[in-house]
Amino acid sequence: MAKINYRRLKGSQNFRLRLLLATLSSTPVIIEDIRADDTLPGLRPHEISLLRLLEKVSDDCLIEINETGTKFKYKPGIVMGGRNLLHDCGISRSIGYFLEPLIVLGLFAKKPLSIRLKGITNDSKDPSVDTFRSTTLPMLKQFGVPSEGLDLKIESRGSPPLGGGEIVLSVPIVQSLTAVNWIDEGMVKRIRGVSFSTRVSVQFENAMIYAARGIFNRLLPDVHIFTDHKAGPQAGNSPGYGISLVAETTSGCFISADTTVSYARRDGIDLEDEEKNELMPPAEVGVQIASVLLQEIEQGGVVDSTHQGLLFLLCALCPQDVSKVRVGKLSPYGEETLRQIRDFLGVKFVIKPDTSTRTVMLKCVGSGLKNLSKKSS
Amino acid sequence: SKWKESLVERTLSRQNISLMQHVYGKPSSFSATPMNRNQDGGDGEESDGDEFFKPKGEGNKKSREGLDGTNFNSEDCSKFTNYGELKDWKEEEVYESIRNHFVTGDWSK
Repeated sequence: MAKINYRRLKGSQNFRLRLLLATLSSTPVIIEDIRADDTLPGLRPHEISLLRLLEKVSDDCLIEINETGTKFKYKPGIVMGGRNLLHDCGISRSIGYFLEPLIVLGLFAKKPLSIRLKGITNDSKDPSVDTFRSTTLPMLKQFGVPSEGLDLKIESRGSPPLGGGEIVLSVPIVQSLTAVNWIDEGMVKRIRGVSFSTRVSVQFENAMIYAARGIFNRLLPDVHIFTDHKAGPQAGNSPGYGISLVAETTSGCFISADTTVSYARRDGIDLEDEEKNELMPPAEVGVQIASVLLQEIEQGGVVDSTHQGLLFLLCALCPQDVSKVRVGKLSPYGEETLRQIRDFLGVKFVIKPDTSTRTVMLKCVGSGLKNLSKKSS
Repeated sequence: SKWKESLVERTLSRQNISLMQHVYGKPSSFSATPMNRNQDGGDGEESDGDEFFKPKGEGNKKSREGLDGTNFNSEDCSKFTNYGELKDWKEEEVYESIRNHFVTGDWSK
């Protein structure tokens, strides 16, 4: 057997992007020096969980982790997908952390993916499951992903620190994506949203919604924010509340913002958490998240700052056609994504600032990735 | 006026390069090494003495800063919200400034 040529990388940065791109481009990787000098060295529980998830959805992949977890080897296999899979995401990061790479992987699987994920459904660090439903999934449709079979069901919610939520994600497969010319962000015609609460009174939601509406009312009458109060076993293990907003534009773009308020984790890993023991009052949360959404709208661009990475990734995975997109200010994660795309797929974007609207135009020729496992007939 | 146009054009093209450079780094012909070398040189002079043992954390901090300016083990997170920079959207001036991003704004443009 031929010797495998591993690409050597260092550090835990861009962990998900590296694994995702390694899988899609069938590049075996060795990642070393993962928090080697930390008091808690090595891979974090969520990173190991993500590796296990990769194992679960693919065939013939190889993962070897050293004793301290500071180095591992990953040889991608064939992404199989499949129905009725189950994965426990743990509680060190929310389900959103896993969804971001998983949806892209699912598109290029052999069989449509349907998987039940357990863990934290909403937290402040990753996009919430509500944002995935309202913004991320519609975004895929721009790239020719069919809407049948594309779904995310929230069966129960779980707030940090203890989680206890469950969702079911279904992703259809595609033969290839279609390149986009997506530069018109349009004008915001309506704002929708969902608030949620777990193990607290529904009054928290009403206060958040009232405060958020107060900000939007002067700009737009068409604002509806729904409540999703969970109680009993559907409310998970921890108290929490939060809100996810999405602005829909006349040209079919979705701009989102979300947040969650809950007690901080105490496992010593997330020590730098900004949340204190005092929780932010719901009225303040409402004002804050409405302001974040308006700031995202002000930036311009066809997606919000959180979705830039996914947008660039999808453009780079298109057939060898030119894709053109417009975003607001480049986000740090968006920039990292651009670099990783260049390293793994060899796709370089042409990045031009549009000074009149203070946005950024990006152009690229897709890498021509085809889902070889899907029959074309 | 006319003389301004060429200036604007030049700044635009320069910005274009800088944005590409910002993301992908400078082309190898003029790399960022001189800057780093200076920093290293400064370090060397100080640590010439009896600082034989260096705390591992400190030594690494410096070398890591050189690495594209980003942290080596930085957190993997797509969400980027700067809560510190939120404007007061209740102010009329502030919310009127984005009116044209909404259907309630001026359509003539």
